[in-house]
Amino acid sequence: MPPAEALSEIQAICPGTTPMQEAGLEYIFLPGLKLPPGRTPAACDALLCLSPREGYPTRLFLSAQLYDRGNNWNTFHILGRTWYSWSWNYVPSSERPALVLAQHLRALR
Amino acid sequence: MKNRLARQSFLKPESDALLGAAKVALVGLGGGGSHIAQLLAHVGVRNFVLIDPDVVEDTNLNRLVGATAADVARATRKTDVAERLIKGINPKARVINVSERWQERAELLRDCTAIFGCVDTFADRAQLEVAARRYLIPYLDLGMDVHRLGDDYCIAGQVILSSPGELCLRCLGFITDELLAREAARYGAAGGRPQVVWPNGLLASAAVGLFIQLVTPWSRNPVATAYLEYDGNSHTVKECSRLTIMRERVCHHFDSLDNVGDPFWRSRSKTPPKPAPSHLRRLLSYFHVRLL
Amino acid sequence: MTITFKITRRLFAAVQTDLLRRHAFAAERVGWLICRVGDAFDGNLIVLAHEYEPVADADYLDDPSVGAMMGPAAIRKALQIALSQRASMFHVHLHDHCSFPRFSATDVRETSKFVPDFWNVRPELPHGAVVLSRDAACGRCWYPGRGQQAIGEFVIVGAPQVRVSEAYEKQTRSPKLSQA
Repeated sequence: MPPAEALSEIQAICPGTTPMQEAGLEYIFLPGLKLPPGRTPAACDALLCLSPREGYPTRLFLSAQLYDRGNNWNTFHILGRTWYSWSWNYVPSSERPALVLAQHLRALR
Repeated sequence: MKNRLARQSFLKPESDALLGAAKVALVGLGGGGSHIAQLLAHVGVRNFVLIDPDVVEDTNLNRLVGATAADVARATRKTDVAERLIKGINPKARVINVSERWQERAELLRDCTAIFGCVDTFADRAQLEVAARRYLIPYLDLGMDVHRLGDDYCIAGQVILSSPGELCLRCLGFITDELLAREAARYGAAGGRPQVVWPNGLLASAAVGLFIQLVTPWSRNPVATAYLEYDGNSHTVKECSRLTIMRERVCHHFDSLDNVGDPFWRSRSKTPPKPAPSHLRRLLSYFHVRLL
Repeated sequence: MTITFKITRRLFAAVQTDLLRRHAFAAERVGWLICRVGDAFDGNLIVLAHEYEPVADADYLDDPSVGAMMGPAAIRKALQIALSQRASMFHVHLHDHCSFPRFSATDVRETSKFVPDFWNVRPELPHGAVVLSRDAACGRCWYPGRGQQAIGEFVIVGAPQVRVSEAYEKQTRSPKLSQA
């Protein structure tokens, strides 16, 4: 689990943020995360995976698929819900979670 | 009319009802899943959840049980082929037929007796097993592959039974992070993998046999975990040596309480729960009980 | 709404083994099943047992008028689990006979007192109580905003799978927990 300070930093970006885990992988649940301006939807739930999975050191999953940004969208089932993610790799987990999140969101600008 | 299940009465008298009450999910209705649908319908399963987003193509006809040339022309959904197959055997079967990705309709799996995973990717298998464990559902995985070795081809396949509380696909070495990473790196480069009908039939039959011994009391020594490897060149099916080694171990991949149930569960009632009596009243009530 | 309670064979065996142990003065043992819940797509509730926490020997009160009486420490520890692990807590004990158990008058009285306590720490979750016999089970679930309701079916997941409910037994003559 990320340290409390790192969590509170990301909670300032997205209130209601909760650490979760499934099958040994760590996630941060971000309810109603605001996406970069101009995206549809403007906000959606998100899961930031801070554990390496499927060759990605970190990955951002969204509860809605975007059709005008990101390539190679795939569908996932995590924590009992449907999630979507795109190909955006090599964002290391060594950064603070807030920075990891920012780097993933950059792909959706 | 004769009881059409009379020839399987050795499964014990209550088995017909047990199989009839079971609800089975088939995720993937291709070469493996179509066989399983047929077998389960024959053996008396009456409740099905069929999930597959694909339609029948001509390259499916070498192995898709129940599919016809007309299905190719009409681009019939694979789930419709399976439903037709099932209801042709048992018109009273209840079928939930979903032509979507399973990840988008996973809520349909939650009250199933067992989930058969007949999917193409390790990523799907890994996620399906996690979804099954979340609702304490046994997961049966099957698949086959053809590998080229020089000028020769090797046919291989597997059937794995993964039960909640017992060894999982990772314990058995079937799913690893390296495999998942390699698979993800191949995205977009996957072509039509070689597939033939007879290994599917063999693997499907083995999988259904494992399901039957879970749900009915016919076997004296039912197993909760199985890992069968099919060698299509030597025509053998045997237990994977990894299971033999791991059998006495305990799975720790799903130890956390977070792996069970719906982490986002909310009550459907709009009324808040009635609070318990005050702390002082609780202490007094305990004290009162002690005095009786 | 139907409520189904699911538990793995491995965990169920551990619970039975613990509940059958003798206590220095209590006639019965009791414990807690630490659970999570989910909804089937038709809205029925599924309760999923994940771990078992026995009530510690020292946390029983010596009360010969009942089979087992938990002290405040037992409740407090269970409340702490519910709070820290976001768990639905189900009290469990065993009636040592065959066939379907029933909640005794004491069971009804006591569970009605302490089960709603869990809504002080986890008001958003269901909690409840389960009674096992040698070969069957019954239980009640306190659903947030709806009060208590009987658990309709128990499923022991393993080899073989066993489903237990009075209605189901009449329909299928299925094996009972003694074969679990």
